[in-house]
Amino acid sequence: MESLKNEESRVPPAEAGGADPGVTAPEPDSPDSLGTTQVPWFRSLTIERRILFGFSLVFIGILLICVISYRNLRVLLDNSGRDTRSYELIQVLRDVDVATDEAEKHLRRYLVTGEPIYLGNYREVVKQKTTLVTYVQDLARGSVDQEERAERLNRTMERQLAAQAAAIAKLAEGGIKAVKKTALDGPAKQEIAEIHRIVASMDQHERETLRLRVMQSAAETRKTIALLAAGALLQLVLLAAVYYLIRHDITQRRRVAAELKRHGVLLEAANKELESFSYSVSHDLRAPLRHIDGYAALLRKTMADSMSEKAARYLDTISASAKQMGQLIDDLLVFSRMGRQDMFRTTVDLARLVSAVRDDLRLDLHGRTISWTIGALPSVPGDPAMLRQVFMNLIANAVKFTSTRPAAEISIGVDRRTPTEVVIFVRDNGVGFDMRYASKLFGVFQRLHRADEFEGTGIGLANVRRIVHRHGGRVWAEGAPDQGATFYVALPTEGGVR
Amino acid sequence: MSPAKPILLAEDNPRDAELALAAMEEHHISDKVVVCRDGAEALDYLYCRGAFTSRHRGNPVVVFLDLKMPKVDGLEVLRAMKSDASLRSIPVVMLTSSREERDLRESYVLGANAYVVKPVEFGRFVSAVKELSLFWGIINEPPPDPSTSKT
Repeated sequence: MESLKNEESRVPPAEAGGADPGVTAPEPDSPDSLGTTQVPWFRSLTIERRILFGFSLVFIGILLICVISYRNLRVLLDNSGRDTRSYELIQVLRDVDVATDEAEKHLRRYLVTGEPIYLGNYREVVKQKTTLVTYVQDLARGSVDQEERAERLNRTMERQLAAQAAAIAKLAEGGIKAVKKTALDGPAKQEIAEIHRIVASMDQHERETLRLRVMQSAAETRKTIALLAAGALLQLVLLAAVYYLIRHDITQRRRVAAELKRHGVLLEAANKELESFSYSVSHDLRAPLRHIDGYAALLRKTMADSMSEKAARYLDTISASAKQMGQLIDDLLVFSRMGRQDMFRTTVDLARLVSAVRDDLRLDLHGRTISWTIGALPSVPGDPAMLRQVFMNLIANAVKFTSTRPAAEISIGVDRRTPTEVVIFVRDNGVGFDMRYASKLFGVFQRLHRADEFEGTGIGLANVRRIVHRHGGRVWAEGAPDQGATFYVALPTEGGVR
Repeated sequence: MSPAKPILLAEDNPRDAELALAAMEEHHISDKVVVCRDGAEALDYLYCRGAFTSRHRGNPVVVFLDLKMPKVDGLEVLRAMKSDASLRSIPVVMLTSSREERDLRESYVLGANAYVVKPVEFGRFVSAVKELSLFWGIINEPPPDPSTSKT
């Protein structure tokens, strides 16, 4: 994960360098060759945001396609509705045409014969006039030309009816003879010709509108199909890009995982080697020491009576050195084990831990009085045994290095805390140390005091640092010669644990 | 009556062996100690073969086993003993420099009766060997020997 992020954040500077004319373009199979090389802000996005961005584009595309389809459908439906009306109008106009001729035909028969049956037929046809005209006017609505023609048609038909009514009245007055000429010519000849003209022009006009509308629908549909095809193609490209992004990310993750696994195997092998090394150390290095001490003791026993004081002191020194080295080996083994040992993670109450450590150290005080100042201490996540070793070392050091003080003071407390970590201090008024050597404090076998001043193997603080590092924390020290020392341990709190 | 049963000490390092004998000498038990220089020799002794074909029959009262020995190491000797019906009942004390958890666990799993880490300090080494010898050689009642009970 870490390395992945680093890789991404490292990209922009490399690009800035790419702007230099002397530098060649990035290699063609670079992971982001998908046209994103020109878009730096895209590169600064995390993979999640990139995928989200891609899918958002796809979504917007789908939305657009929906809108276009809907609009086209609306136009087609609308046009089909108007087409129906047009066909109806054409049909009604034909009816008007037929009815007009029918009425005239029946009326002329009546005028010639005087038979009332023909008058009945005539009236029957005329009755439809209002319905037909209303129908035509209704269907013509929406087009100013057609409305005007429909109005003209209505008026002409009124005149036709008026002329026909006049002819009927004339027959009633003057008999068949009076209307003979009218009957032969046709009572509303002019009006009917006018009606035929109007109907023909309306019909023609409506057919033309219909033709144009069909063409418009076809064009609209063609346009929509083209748009939809382009949209679908764009969707495909976008989806392919998103797929590429995801696949690229997965491949990278897989590669990192494989690398981590390989490192893990190497690490395990190294650990095994270290283990067998420390096994040899524990077994083989101890044996000669035992022999040195053993033979020194045997020698002392054998020469007990004849040995000078000086020789006895030499033998004591040999024994003491052997013992010290034995202690060193043991400490070193603990140190090496501390690095390999599995951590047991739980919550550790530092207040309780520090008080337990103080109890354990009571015997080492040899009756000294120390003034302790213990502040409120928090609970932190960690391995109780390991953290115990940390505070055991720090507090034992404080006790040890204040041994020359008439009034030893040791204080322990929280220095400061942040949302992610808490810094604990252990302060003493002991012999202190020179800050120039502060970096050496936590090294293995590093000692800032002569062995005859304070005893110790120089492993303790190295152990402290190793444990604190394994907890994800830091450790450092401040001090001055003869003015005491303060050790700081920064440990991650629940919120800061990775 | 047969002479007192011996203590078998399997120790490849002659100095360690000498120091152990010196410690036992202080308490006058050293004359009953048989020292083998590796695991193979210890097994030869236990099975009365090789250089020990003509030894006095009977199992040792206790076996002090070093872990790290040439040819056959201590754990292998222990395994061989505990899988043999006639040797299984002999008490075995691991006497070693190793404090490794792995060795401890394996020794006890194989049936070791005790596990003692040789102290670096000679004084403590002496007292450890002394106490071990006293306990297993004198205080502890050994199991009845199958070969002697038959005769």
